[in-house]
Amino acid sequence: MGNQRLRFLGVVAAAMVVAMACGGTSGGGTPAKQYKIGLVTDIGGLNDKSFNHLAYVGLENAKKDFNIKDDVIESHNGSEYVPNLTNFASKSYDLVIGVGFLMQEAVGTVSGQFPNVHFAIIDGAGTDASGADLKHPNVESLFFKEQDAGAMVGVISGWLEKNGKAKKNQHVIGAVGGISIPPVNHYIAGYKWAAKMEDPSIAVLVGYSNDFTDPAKCKTVAKAQIDQKSDIEFQVAGGCGLGVLQQAGQSGVYSIGVDADQKDADGSVIASALKKVDVATYTAIKNVVNGQFSGGALTFSIANDGAGYSVDNLDLPADLKAELDKVQSQIKSGALTPPADIPA
Amino acid sequence: MTALGDVLHLLLTANLWQATLAAAVLLLLPALGGVISERSGVVNIAMEGMMLTGAFFGVVADLALHNVWLATAVAILAGGLMASIHAVVSIQFRADQIVSGIAINIFAAGLTVFLVNRIYGLQDVGHLGQSDLLPNLDFPGLDQLPFLGKVFFQQNVVVYVALILLVLVHVVLFRTRLGLRIRAVGEHPSAADTAGINVFVLRYGAVISSGLLSGLAGAFLAIGVSNTFVPNMTDGRGYIALAAMIFGKWTPFGAFVACLIFGLGEAVYANNSTIHISPYLLSMLPYLLTLIVLAGIVGRSTPPAADGLPYVAGSE
Amino acid sequence: MPLGSVVLAFVIGAVIVTVTGDNPFTAYAGLLCGGLGIACTEGENPALQISTTIVYLIPLITTGVAVALPFRAGLFNIGAEGQMLAGMIACTTIGVVFKDLPAVILLPMVLVAGMAAGAFWAGIAGLLKATVGAHEVVTTIMLNYVAQWLLRFLIIGGPLQLRSGTSKSLTIGQGAWLARVLPNDNNLDILGLPASVYRVHTGLLLALAAAAIFAFLLWRTSLGYEIRAVGQSQKAARYAGVSVRRTIIVTMLIAGAFSGLAGAIQIAGVDHNLTDIYFTDTTGFDAIAVALLGLGSAVGIVLAAVLFGALHAGGAVMQADAGISGNLVFILQALILFSIAANFVGQIRRLIPGLGGAPAALPPEAPPAGPMMTEAAAPPPQTP
Repeated sequence: MGNQRLRFLGVVAAAMVVAMACGGTSGGGTPAKQYKIGLVTDIGGLNDKSFNHLAYVGLENAKKDFNIKDDVIESHNGSEYVPNLTNFASKSYDLVIGVGFLMQEAVGTVSGQFPNVHFAIIDGAGTDASGADLKHPNVESLFFKEQDAGAMVGVISGWLEKNGKAKKNQHVIGAVGGISIPPVNHYIAGYKWAAKMEDPSIAVLVGYSNDFTDPAKCKTVAKAQIDQKSDIEFQVAGGCGLGVLQQAGQSGVYSIGVDADQKDADGSVIASALKKVDVATYTAIKNVVNGQFSGGALTFSIANDGAGYSVDNLDLPADLKAELDKVQSQIKSGALTPPADIPA
Repeated sequence: MTALGDVLHLLLTANLWQATLAAAVLLLLPALGGVISERSGVVNIAMEGMMLTGAFFGVVADLALHNVWLATAVAILAGGLMASIHAVVSIQFRADQIVSGIAINIFAAGLTVFLVNRIYGLQDVGHLGQSDLLPNLDFPGLDQLPFLGKVFFQQNVVVYVALILLVLVHVVLFRTRLGLRIRAVGEHPSAADTAGINVFVLRYGAVISSGLLSGLAGAFLAIGVSNTFVPNMTDGRGYIALAAMIFGKWTPFGAFVACLIFGLGEAVYANNSTIHISPYLLSMLPYLLTLIVLAGIVGRSTPPAADGLPYVAGSE
Repeated sequence: MPLGSVVLAFVIGAVIVTVTGDNPFTAYAGLLCGGLGIACTEGENPALQISTTIVYLIPLITTGVAVALPFRAGLFNIGAEGQMLAGMIACTTIGVVFKDLPAVILLPMVLVAGMAAGAFWAGIAGLLKATVGAHEVVTTIMLNYVAQWLLRFLIIGGPLQLRSGTSKSLTIGQGAWLARVLPNDNNLDILGLPASVYRVHTGLLLALAAAAIFAFLLWRTSLGYEIRAVGQSQKAARYAGVSVRRTIIVTMLIAGAFSGLAGAIQIAGVDHNLTDIYFTDTTGFDAIAVALLGLGSAVGIVLAAVLFGALHAGGAVMQADAGISGNLVFILQALILFSIAANFVGQIRRLIPGLGGAPAALPPEAPPAGPMMTEAAAPPPQTP
């Protein structure tokens, strides 16, 4: 079915190219043009249980719906970013996707060399060495309002504490970040802000493991917070953060997953804050296939279903569900705006 | 001043020491392996790779079999298998032991991620349920002791095993004939050979033991502390264990003290929210301390005499 | 012998690829294309692939020399990585602080600063070895980690950080940039691609010069003689009037300077700033393989650097074209190390008498056969 629709699209596209004589993408004359999409991971690799993996999932989903030739290169160290992006760009791929803010400078460099190739970058823009956005028209920057997702799970945590529906109900919750960088802090900012909104008496402990891969380090940080009466532990540390979920399970408190739905990671996971990197990747590919690619920033938030939450191992009380729906619609409408910086 | 007071207060909490002991055990097991291997005269810088291999195969086995004890056995064996490569290459083929150790570490890092791609692909490595993990074991009664109960009697089963192994390795190395022979082989292999001791068998045994211990540490990390495999999850612990072994002057209890110091650093950082020292400077500490010890400022640290020298039968 | 080791490693690698369900020929075709621009099937530009390989191999030559020189003195320098990072840090610091100086002054300054920092880093290990006998393998491993964490500290929250929330430094002054071979121009078309994608820089000449200096130093100077004498036998060297301690320290200082130069060239020639991309760098460890495979000769080191540079570049193309995880490259690298270190090929020849006959004579500049750890590298005797 997907193929038929695509063929139809292709015919339409071909007709449009002839009619308007303006090809959004080069080539595109044959009825079923095959789009070449190249994905370059950062040093986390495809199995990072975090955004690299989600980007790959988005690519595979797009492959089901569109006529795509998908290729992946995993970067093993940072000096490979430029050559790996160049590899796809030099072969005239229709879209080259760089995953992660670590690749900003590399995307900035390579997109300048190949103005006719489309680029997309997760969590960043194509920048120069000073970190300033070069605003190349062939680069789509895929940003996320992590604070939206953080706020939703913050609502859950605050509500449970206020209403005595958590485990210890001491009005203390915690968050364990990987490194204190913007994407991590956005999550924690929304979480703390929303939890305080629900339960003004709540204390939110914030700690960092300085690591994204080693679960043992995050586990120690989570343990320390739980020892300080934390009742619900939010992990914002990728693979390292799995240790947080684990520790919560062993200490008999609740935990909250991050990025993807981490329901299966541990029985203690009551919810996950979702940053839909897969949706963003899919959208970037869809835009290229449909000739709707546009340079500049695309922000994924609750408003466009690019961020959100999932309820996992928890029977959601009806009152809480109502509260969540209310806050979600208020964020959508702009009546509430979760902060990007961690509130005091 | 208040920050200092907070840290002092922190040092008196049982929670801190409980975390310290758990973190130390992850280093202690490979460090003990290093002690045994180097006492027999085979330099071993490959604990990192052996531990990573154990972690990976432990998770693979646990996901397939849903039996944590079998999975732990698989992890231990996988570590041992990796070590036997080191043994064959450096004892049988008399290769340079450091080169072989580096090769093991590169091999393990490459192989595990390569296999993750091959085995799990898009699905990614799955997670294990609590029942498939190495359990915590509280000693009824004793765990209620003030302070000590929390630190010593509410720990993962591997922590107790590691402490028993610590004593065992010490006793075997310094109180038995076998230990005497191992040390003789590490100090004067030719004299040991003349005395009828089989240098090769002892060295093989020692190197493979180091792999078994590192494999157990890998299992503890992946299916005890964590519940899945993350690429490179050992995160340099094998090298910190190496530092601990040297810091501890090639003795089991010395290494244990070093592991406790390094573990304490990790635990203090995790438990402390008042002092804002750069975590990166803190991470440097184990290595700086080891350099200081090596410099002889805190007493000399001298390896076994024949450490690193391949043995050729009949040579002097 | 080294060629045999490489072939053997590739054969075992092919077995691993086959067992895990892929076609080894496709895999190696990808490596060949990516590394040398030969037999490309997916439209890769051969010139671009060769250029990428050259960019990768430049630091491998210089750090390879930094490992090979101490080998001759019986010292095992595992610390090329840390020394290189020290060189990068110094080069960046000077390049940022004095960013307005003209190239004639600034470029030599950053290169010398890099060499000095690398020499200092290695000198610590040399000094500890010569004075208290601390094993250089252990000290250099520790120094590698100290350098790694120092780098993180400096560019995340430390004095070199560009601004809060970033993990990079300021850019070094233009005067400290090493020129590229082709103009860094996005609009100039060369062989179908913009000239700026060919990143080969003049650091290549510096690296080749470093290899030449290494050979000259070792074979044409009295210091080289002393280094070799110490490597052969410390006792004999002492009888010949060579100061073993001094030689150990000087050797490590020079080796560190080579590694530091590698780091400075990398910053001045490729990156122009210090960023998080070096958090997971392995150049200094690849250098060990380069030095071993190159049999410690200048030409050998350059050839081995070509091989590992090509493997590095080839892994990406193999994954893109054949879908085989680029981690295969690490497996191959480990197999090559095992194979050289254990001299499997020689052992197999010995086992099958009709095969090889007499072992080929080693070239005169070959390092002492057998274990790399001679008595100089061995720990001092234990006091009871």
